[in-house]
Amino acid sequence: MTTAGATPQGTWAPRVVGLVCDWAVATNTIADGDGRLRRHPSVVLIRVPCSGFIRPSWLEDTLKAGADGVFVVGCPYGDCLNREGNYLMRERMDQLQRRLQRRKVDPARLAMLAHGLHDETAFMADVGTFLDRLRQLGPAAAPRPAAPARTAASPPSGGPAAAPAVPAEDGGA
Amino acid sequence: MYRRALTALQRFTLRLDVAINRVYPTDLNPLYYTGGLTNLFLFILVLSGIFIFFYYVPSLFEGHASIVYLTEQVPYGGLIRGIHRYSADAFIIAALLHLLRNWFTDRYLFSRDSPWISGMFMLLLGGFIGATGYILVWDDRALAILGSFDDLLRSIPLVGRAFADLLVGGEGLGEATLPRILLLHVGPASALYVLLWWHYVRLRHPKIWPPATWVLVSLGVVTLLAAVIPAVSGTPAAPGTSPSAIALDVFFLLPFWLAGFLPPLVVVLSLAGLFAVGFVIPYVNRESDAAMGVRHAGVAQVIDGNCTGCELCYYDCPYNAIVMVPSPYPGLSRAAASRKLLAVVVDSRCVECGICIGACPFEALELPGVLESEITRRAVEAVSIAGPVRA
Repeated sequence: MTTAGATPQGTWAPRVVGLVCDWAVATNTIADGDGRLRRHPSVVLIRVPCSGFIRPSWLEDTLKAGADGVFVVGCPYGDCLNREGNYLMRERMDQLQRRLQRRKVDPARLAMLAHGLHDETAFMADVGTFLDRLRQLGPAAAPRPAAPARTAASPPSGGPAAAPAVPAEDGGA
Repeated sequence: MYRRALTALQRFTLRLDVAINRVYPTDLNPLYYTGGLTNLFLFILVLSGIFIFFYYVPSLFEGHASIVYLTEQVPYGGLIRGIHRYSADAFIIAALLHLLRNWFTDRYLFSRDSPWISGMFMLLLGGFIGATGYILVWDDRALAILGSFDDLLRSIPLVGRAFADLLVGGEGLGEATLPRILLLHVGPASALYVLLWWHYVRLRHPKIWPPATWVLVSLGVVTLLAAVIPAVSGTPAAPGTSPSAIALDVFFLLPFWLAGFLPPLVVVLSLAGLFAVGFVIPYVNRESDAAMGVRHAGVAQVIDGNCTGCELCYYDCPYNAIVMVPSPYPGLSRAAASRKLLAVVVDSRCVECGICIGACPFEALELPGVLESEITRRAVEAVSIAGPVRA
């Protein structure tokens, strides 16, 4: 496990996938056409019709495929365009985090954000915080061989060989 | 033009939300509960109205006196009368905020036209109930409003005269007038609850009450207003006299104020035009399908062979668009082989949000425009192509 604040790679950029509700924060000014954030090129955004559309297993699969972190962006709580999508997603996310904890994946690699259409600045600040958190956690553990077949071409090159699995017990209650 | 104006207004609405969310926790933002606040004020109106109903005498000679008696003699009568008056104003303000907010933030699209249309009817009835409420007080203002209302109705060609007679209860003022107005005050108020059923019918868990904090604040504000600025009657109505200057309530009496200097038919036509526009709004396509992007992803489709009948999508759909029917045949996957129920999407209720897809652990639902395979492919691709990037 890496010590807080100092990662072995220094400028290592965590690979992150963000699923963004199309009614939540507008990303056309902060991301390229393919969804890559301009300021953090290792973060890729995928737009979905509503945060409630996201099946939690997709997040899990993305982590298994080698992502260092995954986040979901919904509308501000109480203001979901589809009334309940962000609340439902927050609940599903909590369940998924408890499930991941049992599987020795740090739940801090998942984040649920909530930003309105014009909150790009606040959104970028939250992404920055999330990336800092991931840098403290270090790269995701290399996929365990017992896990089912996956499509990642190569294991993450930055995977710490000394710590095969990230201990999850200190990742929050 | 319309599109640009709405975009600007949407920007303003969301900016306002951000500002309010700095002050309150997002769960307490009062603008997120405009519908609940409207319902709360309606509830206050019904309760205080029942109280006033016990004392009101619908008669030309006792109507005014009974309200004065209620205000001055009955314990807390004046306070409750004031609460009735001010929550009526608050009701209209909250209802208009609710309308504007849902309009500016695109919450009337696709199959969400039915709350919009029922809301338009409720707004119309709400204004009418307010006007009749002012007439019931039967002071000089009431007489002026009744006369103006009569003029407005009579200006409608062909049927206007019949409408006016319906309102007044026969030819000219008579003992039937105030009972008729009372009926027209209480009847539409009950009809509001029928329309509310229509308003809510497609919503799975409608937020019909604001948080407790705002219930208390709203109650406090109307009670305080009623105590500080009591609602009072003018001089008793005396038919034949022309009233002097009258303070007009802008929320209910705007048409009568306009009728003061515009021809009655013009006022009636502009009101009718306003509501006609209101009924058209949900059917005006603001954006092209292409500009809607993933938002217009098509009605959710059940993948029959995978559905296990577990009802998770049924519980999560915010629009009651999924119904569970007895399964006519077993599913194909192993989990679905012994199912008893099958999920069916009601096309006319689906708003294409895809919340059922997130709810389904069995991959038995898809949005045609945004397939699951496409999302997962892009997610995995993003991870594998990115590699460890040096920033």
